[in-house]
Amino acid sequence: MNKPKFPILHVWLDELSELVKDEGILIFLILLPLAYPLLYAMIYNTEAQRQLPICVIDDCMTDRSRAFIRRVDATPEVNVVAHCTDMPQAQELMRRRQVFAILRVPAEFDRDLWRGRQTVVGVYSDLTSMLYYKVVYLGVINVAQEMNRNIKVEERQNNISRREEQLARWPIRFEEVKLYNSAGGFASFLIPPVLMLILQQALCLGVGMSMGRSRERFRGFVIPPTKHYKNTLAIVLGKGLVHFLLFMLMAFYMAICVTRWFGLPQLAHFWDLLGFFVPYLAACTFMAMFWSHFVYRREDCILLFVFMSVPLLFLSGVSWPGASIPTLWKVVGSVFPSTWGLNAYVRISGMGASLGDVRHEIMILWIQAGVYFLLSCLFYMQEIRKAVGRSVLN
Amino acid sequence: MLKDFWHITLREIRAFGRRPIFLMIMFVAPLTFLWMFTSMMGAGLPTKLPAALVDEDNTHVTRQLTRILGTMEETDFVIKTNSFTEAREAMQRGEIYAIFRIPKGTTEAAQTQRQPTVSFYTNDSYYVAASLLMKDMRKLSEMAGLAITRETMRAKGYRDDQIMGVLQPIVVESHPLGNPYLNYSVVLTNMIVPGILMLLIMLTTSYALGNEWKRGQQKILYEMAGQRVWVAVCAKLFPQTVIYTIIFWFIDFVFYNYLQFPCACGIPRMMLWGFLAVLASQGFGLLLFEAFPGMMRFAMSACSLLGVMQFSLAGFSFPVTAMNSAFEWLANIFPLHHYFLVYVNQALNGYPISYAWANVAFLLLIALLPFLFTHRLRNAFLYKEYRA
Repeated sequence: MNKPKFPILHVWLDELSELVKDEGILIFLILLPLAYPLLYAMIYNTEAQRQLPICVIDDCMTDRSRAFIRRVDATPEVNVVAHCTDMPQAQELMRRRQVFAILRVPAEFDRDLWRGRQTVVGVYSDLTSMLYYKVVYLGVINVAQEMNRNIKVEERQNNISRREEQLARWPIRFEEVKLYNSAGGFASFLIPPVLMLILQQALCLGVGMSMGRSRERFRGFVIPPTKHYKNTLAIVLGKGLVHFLLFMLMAFYMAICVTRWFGLPQLAHFWDLLGFFVPYLAACTFMAMFWSHFVYRREDCILLFVFMSVPLLFLSGVSWPGASIPTLWKVVGSVFPSTWGLNAYVRISGMGASLGDVRHEIMILWIQAGVYFLLSCLFYMQEIRKAVGRSVLN
Repeated sequence: MLKDFWHITLREIRAFGRRPIFLMIMFVAPLTFLWMFTSMMGAGLPTKLPAALVDEDNTHVTRQLTRILGTMEETDFVIKTNSFTEAREAMQRGEIYAIFRIPKGTTEAAQTQRQPTVSFYTNDSYYVAASLLMKDMRKLSEMAGLAITRETMRAKGYRDDQIMGVLQPIVVESHPLGNPYLNYSVVLTNMIVPGILMLLIMLTTSYALGNEWKRGQQKILYEMAGQRVWVAVCAKLFPQTVIYTIIFWFIDFVFYNYLQFPCACGIPRMMLWGFLAVLASQGFGLLLFEAFPGMMRFAMSACSLLGVMQFSLAGFSFPVTAMNSAFEWLANIFPLHHYFLVYVNQALNGYPISYAWANVAFLLLIALLPFLFTHRLRNAFLYKEYRA
């Protein structure tokens, strides 16, 4: 038997034509990476909760308490939609989810302030979302601190000059700088890692499905009975290259188009992105090829891979601070390229890190790519042996 | 009819035994994630997050300030340096979430009343960590400023209660209702673990049904049920309903009894809502299977694409009220969204269920809606074949 000249090319073309014919696989290889990022970006595109409806109980009814409420209402965070006379009435509004917090100004508000005592304003917030609490608390505390400074300076201390007044307001100036996500927005924080996770998950689903399809077509064997499928290296590289190249396109679509359309942070240079995508996608592709060994039927892979998305996002330490993840789960997470890839991408694209800054992650991704590549090769070697047995039997 | 029902159920249980993947999806996966999320967030809110301190001034005053900073709950200064570049690089390597910077000349400026500026940088690419650290720093920055005024006033002979009336005339007292420890992980764990379970229910529903077509046994099932579609579907899904309900109850038990998460309505009530959530998820899976009758692959793809979205649209991390109104409306089709609102109403706040009646009604509706479209399944039973 003469050896085929370019087995890699042959496997590559085979795999490509198989994929194009199967609309079930195309859903995950084309539709998912193209449409899902847009959908996610649209969900979180509003970035923050603004003008949260709250209600106010003003037991004091003086000039100063009204001024306080007016200022709270004027903040971008909250919107005073109702004035209630007592607590039960306000609670009723809260139970009906018409307001998400109650601001209560006590009857002795103005009197306490005139007497030079501390007075206590109550904020009762719904914890349906942590963001509600944060938003209301920030809105009210900002107003209170501002008024505190004015009271301190104008009523309680007899300052002589403007400069002295200013100093009394702010003895030390504090600057708060939100780096890399200056608006503190939700989309800018969540979408970049989700994009990378989509790449890995779509690859696993696509590769897994094509494996299931082969097994169903060739009655349990993963490779067709032709002469081109004798070389392990050619099979693994040929099949892998199809997915790798397709997802390289998708990766740049996400990093450039999606990011630009939705105004997400992108500080990376082209070469840095490329230097990251190559190991990340290689690791993802070979991992997908390895895991696909466990897919015996085409639909099984949906069952196996889809629900992993949410836990993987948490294991990466991007949404929940990585510093407080127990060691056991860190070890589990380190097996997946997403854990390293998500962090590296966030740093490269969002924080302007160079490849040198994320070399630790890149190195691990290369190691993962190598290990998963070897594992896939071992698996295919075994399968070739089985296939040879088949032809002997036939 | 009961006999038909029983036969189909037995047939289904035998099918589970043949496929290890069912075992893995129904038992191993949910219990592993229950373990994972409870151990990951068991300690409550993260504390002692790594940050860097850049002290360019390095005097006894700034050292005193850094000692105070070191006592804060959320902050752990793992890097102490006098070069801002070094700290920024550590941030870009992902070792720290925040930088506190005291510039050169701070002490001198403070002593000569020239209003020095101290800066604080958080890395908001890591939202949760940055928010927590920012909270600490805000508190501290306010306190540090006030401490200076307090010393001046003490020197002038004011009493401490008088001083507080000057320093902080208006105090804001926060009352987070239902979760007084502000334990974000309670809400998160309470939604993610059942959420994953509900996603698995949706997927296995369409998987189990689709398998009949795949194995070419749909007509046998149809005959076994006496040509009644609803008997065929209910009997086939019944074993899953039982197993998933038991798992849901086990999760409830772990959350509210073992881990003592807040549960104002009592565990039996939450078990009832859990059961309803199982039914609604099965209804959701069934509905999508009816949208693509007999086409297992498309039904499962739709289930997975929509099912993963429900984590975003349930609204427990980013509230639904902050999204575009189209998504606010779309959220209503997801069982997890309604289960979340029922959970908040019942377990977290302990309100009467009448305030969440709409969400209960929605859960029931999603569970029962598929029975309006059984004619589509009948067609599939009779005429559809599995297409590879």
